[in-house]
Amino acid sequence: MAKNPVPDHVPPEMVRDFSLFTSPGMSPTPNGDPHAAVACVHAGPPIFYSPLNTRDGRGTWVITRASDQRRVLQDTETFSSHRNIFASALGESWPMIPLELDPPSHGAFRSLLNPLLSPKRVSVLEPAVRERAIRLIDGIAASGTSCDVMKDFAFPFTVHIFLHLLGLPDDRIDTFVGWARDLLHGDDTKRPPAARTIVSFIDELAAARREDLVDDFMTFIVQAQVEGRRLTKQEVRGVGVLVFVAGLDTVAAAIGFDLAYLARNLKDQELLRSEPNRIVLAAEELLRAYPTVQLIRVATKDIDFEGAPIRKGDYVSCATMIANRDPTEFECPNTVDLAREDNRHATFGYGPHRCLGSHLARREIVIGLEEWLSRIPAFRIKNGTAPITSGGHVFGIENLILDWS
Amino acid sequence: MRIIVQNAKCQGHARCAAHAPHIFKLDDAGYILPGNIQVVEGEELTASRGVRSCPERALEIDGEPSSTG
Repeated sequence: MAKNPVPDHVPPEMVRDFSLFTSPGMSPTPNGDPHAAVACVHAGPPIFYSPLNTRDGRGTWVITRASDQRRVLQDTETFSSHRNIFASALGESWPMIPLELDPPSHGAFRSLLNPLLSPKRVSVLEPAVRERAIRLIDGIAASGTSCDVMKDFAFPFTVHIFLHLLGLPDDRIDTFVGWARDLLHGDDTKRPPAARTIVSFIDELAAARREDLVDDFMTFIVQAQVEGRRLTKQEVRGVGVLVFVAGLDTVAAAIGFDLAYLARNLKDQELLRSEPNRIVLAAEELLRAYPTVQLIRVATKDIDFEGAPIRKGDYVSCATMIANRDPTEFECPNTVDLAREDNRHATFGYGPHRCLGSHLARREIVIGLEEWLSRIPAFRIKNGTAPITSGGHVFGIENLILDWS
Repeated sequence: MRIIVQNAKCQGHARCAAHAPHIFKLDDAGYILPGNIQVVEGEELTASRGVRSCPERALEIDGEPSSTG
């Protein structure tokens, strides 16, 4: 990863050696705890400059307080979400929609998509989600007393639901997960071809649906209207790519971190198993403790922010994992307290770009935990194995082998 | 007890409605309906849980100092 120099306007004393990509515990680590590793920033200043805090080697300002992250993410005039993060990997320039559009143009697309993933709509999807969880877990329980929970449950569960939503056949799960892995966790040689593959796939899918209308997401998008007109091909691509990328591995990772926590904390596991009505509240605490994404904004003008000279064009990082461990926001933030009530976590972001899929994500996590705990007896990390955690743009966990023999 | 609703701040997290759908009513897109909310007697605890769950600080109990940030 090429390192860019610290810009001249950044005072040297505001620079900290910190990165979600390169700091200790961020590269793949056996039995790692990347969320705890980044929480160390709270011993320092509320804002600092990190020279190497994006995948392309650019630096960012890092906002450590939850209240300041709210200020940044709610103020879309000063802090733009228009980064072309995906297209720039291809040397192109087009926004993922609606994430990389700012108000007011953001609003029309957001209004178009909100009903597809609203709380009401998600409650309609719930029986299919639960049925999928039960089928997978029953299969695992019938075949032995241990499993690789990411491969055998978390990915097939969440990716299937997402494919179902898009109207895609689920016999390509492994292919899609592979693309997402190369894109989100791969190196500079893997990312551009993965991005290219995903763009071609979305473009072809949109073209097919224009030819032949069926009852699925992409058909809805190619037929939809914003501001009294059809979406352009590039807009269709922008929506399709975002939904594809956002839905592929974030929820699976969340379920993985949650089950890893429960595997190591048998009392909490038993509490939720014997009193399943606690799972909804507990899931919020697990969402707080183990969020998966860093949100980045671009300053649209010069602004002095809590003593930091942010200049137009600077990247500003609002890492959800940092906000969620802010001691001025949460009592004992590094303790997982499944009965925690005051829990206004930042996991789905703040402001107009609040995660569009958050309602579905929540239900998948709650249903996944409910069905797992009711069908699998007391489970631990299998002796002699170690889950591998990683930081980066999306935090992840792999090789999570659970054992209930 | 009365809850002040700042619609401009609501971003559709719907965590208030998860605590008490009968108190915090949402539109079809999942955002809170306009208008302050008068809470009936006996519902204060559930209502205050809903208020305290809003990540955007869009809800406020009338008479309480507004949360900063």
